[in-house]
Amino acid sequence: MSCWYNNAAPDGDIAVSTRIRLARNINGFPFPAKMSDEQRREVNAKIKNAVSGNIKTDLKYIDMRDVPENERYSMVERHIASREFVSNCENKAILLSEDETVSIMIGEEDHIRIQVILPGLQLEKAYAIAADIDNKLCAALDIAFDPTLGFLTECPTNLGTGLRASVMLHLPVIESRGEMASFTESVNKIGYTVRGMYGEGSNAAGSLYQISNQITLGISEEDAINNLKIIADRIIKKERESEKSLNKIKTEDLCMRALGTLKYARMLSSAELITLISRVKLGLNTGAIKGDINPIKILIEGQPYMLMKTYGNMTDGERDINRAQAVRNALSNVRED
Amino acid sequence: MLCEKCKKNIATTHIRSIVNGKKTEMHLCAECAAKEGISGINDAGLGGMLASMFGDVLSLDPAASLVKCDCCGSTFHDISKTGKAGCPQCYKTFYNEFLPYLKRVHGSIRHVGKTLHAPAAEQEPQNDIMKLKNELAELVREEKFEQAAEVRDKIKELEAGA
Repeated sequence: MSCWYNNAAPDGDIAVSTRIRLARNINGFPFPAKMSDEQRREVNAKIKNAVSGNIKTDLKYIDMRDVPENERYSMVERHIASREFVSNCENKAILLSEDETVSIMIGEEDHIRIQVILPGLQLEKAYAIAADIDNKLCAALDIAFDPTLGFLTECPTNLGTGLRASVMLHLPVIESRGEMASFTESVNKIGYTVRGMYGEGSNAAGSLYQISNQITLGISEEDAINNLKIIADRIIKKERESEKSLNKIKTEDLCMRALGTLKYARMLSSAELITLISRVKLGLNTGAIKGDINPIKILIEGQPYMLMKTYGNMTDGERDINRAQAVRNALSNVRED
Repeated sequence: MLCEKCKKNIATTHIRSIVNGKKTEMHLCAECAAKEGISGINDAGLGGMLASMFGDVLSLDPAASLVKCDCCGSTFHDISKTGKAGCPQCYKTFYNEFLPYLKRVHGSIRHVGKTLHAPAAEQEPQNDIMKLKNELAELVREEKFEQAAEVRDKIKELEAGA
C-alpha cells in the first residue's frame, strides 16, 4: 500500500512530515472518557453517516475491534493514529483514506479527530484537506462550538481552533552543535513546542524533532500555521547552511560507515537503526551517499509492530534479525562507490 | 491586575474563600503566592499539573463544588481533578471558573479563528447589538445617514429589550 512516506516531499531533505489535527465534538454527548457504551455507538453511527453521506472520498470505516494488535500498533508507528487510541479499541473506529494521509479517529480524547499527514513541509496543503473535511462534517453534524471559546474540546488546552499543526524535522547538524536548546527556548516563547520524535531528553533519537503550536485560543488557524511555517523555514535554512560547513571527509566517513553497517548487519536494534538512518539521511543531503534511498521509509518499516505485522509475533532478538534482513533488502541496489 | 502583596508583578493566582459565610478574595503573583504557601504546580505529572492550574483557582471555594453540569453531571471539582471537561456543556456551566485557567494557558479567552453559525434562537442579544453598532459606524463613515438612523433605532429597541 502506498503510504505518506512513499511520496516525494517538498523540503524533504530536512522536513520529514507535516501533520494537521482538528479536534471536534458533538453537542449533547459527554466526551468519550465519560460516555456510556450506548452513547458511543450512537455517536459513532452519527459520524459514520455524516462522512459517508457528505464526503466523497475513499475514506474507509474501520471498527478498531476488527484490527489485529500488530496492525493497530503499526498505525502508531506510521503516525496515522495515537497510542492512546489504539491501546483500547472498544467502541473506537477510524476512517482511513487509501494512501493513509487522511485519518479520522472516532472516540479518541474527543469525538472526532481529523488528521492529515503529508511528507515534507506542506502545511497549507495539509490544512486545506483537513478544513475541507471539517467544513462538511460541521455542516452535517451538530458540532460543539461557542462564539467566545471556539470549538469545545475535552482538554481546555485545545479550545478555540482545536488545531494542532506540527512538522517533523531532521536536524543532525544543529543538534551536534548544541544549538537545539536555544532554538527550543526561542520557539517556546512564541507559543510553540519542540520535542524529540523518538525518545526523551535534549538529544532526540535520530535527530528527529517535532515542532507544534501550543496555543489554540486567541489565534486563528491561518496565523498558527503561518507562524509554524516561518519557524520551520528558518530552521530548515539554518540546517542546510550548517551542512555546508561540515568537514567533508569526516562527514563522508560517518555516513558511509552507517550505510555499510545497514547494508551488511545481521542484527539491528531499533535504537541502532534510527541512529544509522539519521546518518544515511545526512549523507544523502551532503552528497556523501548517492542512490535512490528513502531513509524514512526504511526507518518506519523497521519499527517493531511494522515488522510483526508482516512477519508475525517474535522475540526482540528475532525482531533484530528480521529488521536487519528488511533493511538489507531495501538497500540491496545501493552501491557505495 | 497587580499582585496585592508586592504591588509589582501581575497577579496570576486568584483565591476566593468563604469563611463563616464571609467571602474574601486574594490576587497574588506567583512569587507572593509561593511565600503564602499556595502553589499552583505539583509533581503529579502533566495531568496533575493541568489539574493544579485549576486547583489554585477554585479548590478553596466550596460553594462552586456543588454545581453540577446538566448534561454530564460533572462538578468543577471533578474537572479540576483531571484537568479535562466532561462534555461541551461544561464550558457553559463553568464559564467563569474556566476563564482564569484559559487566560493562563492560552493568554487569551476569545476565539478568533473559524466560526460556526449558531442557530438564530441561541444568539446572544449582546452580539446582535455589537454587530449593529459596527454596522452603524460603517454607515456613518459612508455618510448613509438614513440607513444609519434605522440601525440606530434597532439598537435602541434591542437595548431596551435587554
